[in-house]
Amino acid sequence: MTTSPALPHDAIVLQNVEKQFGDHVVLNNVSMSVSSGEVVALIGPSGAGKSTLLRCINLLERPTSGSITVEGVTIQVDHSIKAKELAALRSRVGMVFQSFNLFPHLTVLRNISLPQQRVLGRSQAEAEERAMTLLERVGLADKAKQYPGRCSGGQQQRIAIARALALDPKVMLFDEPTSALDPELGLEVLAVMRELADEGMTMVVVTHEMQFARDVSDHVVVMSDGAILEEGKPHEIFASPSQPRTRAFLRAVLDRQ
Amino acid sequence: MTEIWNDWLTHHDQLLGGLWVSLRLAFMALLLGLPAGLVLAVGASSRRRVLRGFIVVVIEIGRGTPALVMLQVVYNGIPVTLTGFVCAYIALALTTAAYTSEIIRGGLQSVPGGEIEAGRALGMSSFDVLRDIVIPQGLRIAIPPLMGFCILMFQATSLAFIIAVPELTSQARSIANNTFHYLNLFVIAGVLYAIVTVSASLVTEQVEKKLQRHV
Repeated sequence: MTTSPALPHDAIVLQNVEKQFGDHVVLNNVSMSVSSGEVVALIGPSGAGKSTLLRCINLLERPTSGSITVEGVTIQVDHSIKAKELAALRSRVGMVFQSFNLFPHLTVLRNISLPQQRVLGRSQAEAEERAMTLLERVGLADKAKQYPGRCSGGQQQRIAIARALALDPKVMLFDEPTSALDPELGLEVLAVMRELADEGMTMVVVTHEMQFARDVSDHVVVMSDGAILEEGKPHEIFASPSQPRTRAFLRAVLDRQ
Repeated sequence: MTEIWNDWLTHHDQLLGGLWVSLRLAFMALLLGLPAGLVLAVGASSRRRVLRGFIVVVIEIGRGTPALVMLQVVYNGIPVTLTGFVCAYIALALTTAAYTSEIIRGGLQSVPGGEIEAGRALGMSSFDVLRDIVIPQGLRIAIPPLMGFCILMFQATSLAFIIAVPELTSQARSIANNTFHYLNLFVIAGVLYAIVTVSASLVTEQVEKKLQRHV
């Protein structure tokens, strides 16, 4: 682990990240950086490697080669990764999954307080206080004592966001956070994400919500076949994509929406 | 029927004493065997190949050995002198550990991978993920089949008569050896076993219903 080789304003730097599953190359030499406070939308067709790239940022997926820097913590994946390095990296990154992945045997409050106690060593009272503050923020304070199974998909996803935020991450990763939701329920999740973006949270969002990508993100990265096809400001990408593949993808997605 | 009732009236003290030994034996074997089963289940899911291989061999030996053989091996094989009860307790605990480890492993493996990933993404250590997410849910899933196994283990205590543990079957046999009322005594023993196992099955059903919440 080295301290801050990246420029101070770079929250995330990926350098030459490659990922193979056997002979299948999922990520082919991907490099990108995300400035702190920036919201990046990762878009592209299914199987492009968007989710894999996102999961490489917090090393849920270990790249085959390359380096990953998050808020000053750099990990060279070719070397063995120590548990301490991994913990340092993950403490800076929050993640929200498509399928929420709340713990069904714990109450909503406990879902948010338990990780704080385990990871940050907060007392139960402290952790629960923080959890309640966040539940109020996502409009679900009244669900604190319920079990996740009793909440709607949109509510579960907002709880999952609160759970990730409770650990005070510097960066938030969203892996298709609204794909498993009805459009109406998706909106309430997107509203919470918009608020987060407005507050200056660094976010990387894998999404098929083109409206969100266009209106909320500062930067759009288009991926295809495990590589970055093009990237730029949302209005550039949506108004005049330079790659025919991007044009075809955007046409297909926007027609459906 | 009257004869059976008369035998019960005459020998109920000895038979109930035997039942009490059977219950204690089952309880003790489960008390040691179930936690050991959990340890073996976690070990069998380990990422360390050598450890996993060793544990799987231990489990397979335990599962492959009939309880009756296990009782004899422990009784004759342990170099220190132990009572038949303690030997039976150890042997049945070993059998319990081997069998329940597979039941528990099935439970642990049925915890959705997404939840384990969420725990890791939150920065929880492997131990925390196991303790707080996998084991509580995995055990909850494994409880109904484990309770079924506990009932079988209670019945398996009858095998301990082979090493002279004065449990229910052994008492029934010893009374019958004197009275020659073999059928009567084993019918009474059978009814006593059934009272315990049917009650335990009813409890299992209730527990199963309760556990279906929040999973």
